[in-house]
Amino acid sequence: MSERKNAAKKNQIKRNLEAYTFMIPNLILFLSCSVYPVLWALKYVFYQYGGYGTGAPRFVGLDNLARVFRDKVYWESMLHTFTYGFGKVIIIIPLAFFLAFLLNKQKGINGIAQSIMFLPTVMSSAVMGLVFYLLFNAYNGEINQYLMKLHMISQPINWLGKENAMKTLILTAVWGGVGNYMVYFIAGIQQVSEDAIESARIDGASKIQTIWYIIVPMLGPILKIILMLAITSAFHDITNVMVLTEGGPNNATMVSSLYSYRYFFPISAAEQVVPQYGYGAALSVVTACIAGAVTIVYLKLSKRLDDIY
Amino acid sequence: MSRNIQKPERYHSKSRNEAISLAVKWIFLAIMILFTLYPIIYTIFGSLKTNAELTQGGSFLPSEWHFENYYQAFVEADFMKYAMNSIVISLSVTALAVVTCSLAGFILARREFAGKKILMALYMSMMFVSLGSITLYPIYEMLRGLHLHKTIFAMIIALTGGQASNVFLVMGFTKALPKELDEAAIIDGCSIYQVYFRVILPLTKPILAVVALFSFRNAWNDYITGLVMTITAPALKTLTVAVVQLKYSVNAAAEWHIMLAGASIAIIPILIVYLFANKQFIAGLTAGAVKG
Repeated sequence: MSERKNAAKKNQIKRNLEAYTFMIPNLILFLSCSVYPVLWALKYVFYQYGGYGTGAPRFVGLDNLARVFRDKVYWESMLHTFTYGFGKVIIIIPLAFFLAFLLNKQKGINGIAQSIMFLPTVMSSAVMGLVFYLLFNAYNGEINQYLMKLHMISQPINWLGKENAMKTLILTAVWGGVGNYMVYFIAGIQQVSEDAIESARIDGASKIQTIWYIIVPMLGPILKIILMLAITSAFHDITNVMVLTEGGPNNATMVSSLYSYRYFFPISAAEQVVPQYGYGAALSVVTACIAGAVTIVYLKLSKRLDDIY
Repeated sequence: MSRNIQKPERYHSKSRNEAISLAVKWIFLAIMILFTLYPIIYTIFGSLKTNAELTQGGSFLPSEWHFENYYQAFVEADFMKYAMNSIVISLSVTALAVVTCSLAGFILARREFAGKKILMALYMSMMFVSLGSITLYPIYEMLRGLHLHKTIFAMIIALTGGQASNVFLVMGFTKALPKELDEAAIIDGCSIYQVYFRVILPLTKPILAVVALFSFRNAWNDYITGLVMTITAPALKTLTVAVVQLKYSVNAAAEWHIMLAGASIAIIPILIVYLFANKQFIAGLTAGAVKG
């Protein structure tokens, strides 16, 4: 009896060992590149630390967090993040929706148009950020050259100046993201049954009525996911900002995740930073909490929307 | 009588409406396509112009085709070396991602084992917690502890990362395969390793292709990881990092043509991949989104 039990136990151990031989390669990467950095950041929120060779980290309790709440530049950067996210969502969602509506039938030219619209998604946002930096250059950029040639403007527009930098940034974000959201919408539209659309048409609904009263409400669930992706991703887009505006001029496009990044690494090769890892960790933890809170509020609100329908 | 007159008129107005909506559709699409393609075409044509033509304004097409810009980028700006780095790193990341996600996704889908629940919860939670690029610092410090920080392995490990969402992608795909397949193989005397290699691996190829495609794209296009990991090892710079750093060179104002040649070198390979795999890219995006 006990021998049998032993055998069963041995078998169980063998099964577990086998399972972990499959898990181990990924598990090592996951623990070291995903879990460890988060634990590291949670620890250093409470420390002051200047990095390798600058002396041991010093425990400072809640000082870093208190400093985050007093940091005016940080809250301005949070405001910029919201401006950026809101601007991007409000332009990209309708555009992506109309593109999806026009191109959802995968035949001939529609398929080609889809592939073209999706193209920016596969390109490096850093490299394209550099290209946009040249295109939008105030004096030598091709955009101003064309606008002047067409006599639409008499003075070059300072696209990357304090006034316009955020708008330009949003425009480039729309360029990079619209195809992505179009594909999400196409997936959603293809789930809306043809019958509903057909019967609406027979009842004499116009195209616009069909979109507004049939397709949009039926897209509800997927629209919820799409909006959530759009909102949360706004907190993480920093490559484009880093290359195109570097958060400038004068912090006009400094977004929150770039602001915390700056306490770890220089944004550009030209910049000298004295790293403050503890404070940077505190900033990024607070940012993550705010992003989480926004997501929760959004989910609550969208649930209420569900109840109305 | 009146009916007879009205009918063609109504018909006419309907077809006119349709013509207008068709025109609106194509104008909208034309604008969107132009908007999307313009920066890419500018990059490629611009890479063949002289700096003067770029900065002082010229025609849309290069007036002369200066292919020597590419020679300058490859040889004088050392892009040959950076291109090699990018190729080696991207392919290694792709391979590492596919192998590790395939193994983990398979076992999570097919076997109960001690600690599985905790692991699943941990993987799930890491998909929602995101501290952004600052996590590169602890990773960098860890790799320095292992004396790997000045090697290409540092880039490969940091760029591959935890892969939680890809593991879930493979797991979901494997779960949808009939379990009878494994059971039949086990009855025939196959070990779990044989089940994986002979039964499941061939069947999960479509989803592994998605993982490969997206891992390659992310690695090839990455900027921040490359930037951070090569601060102390400039010889390991990738194409994207090297291209963007031209912006900060002392001659930046005189090197637009080199910047655009570098940018073209960085985007053309992925454009070629996209040319052959655009359907898979688009389908893969939805496969990833549906699970969310």
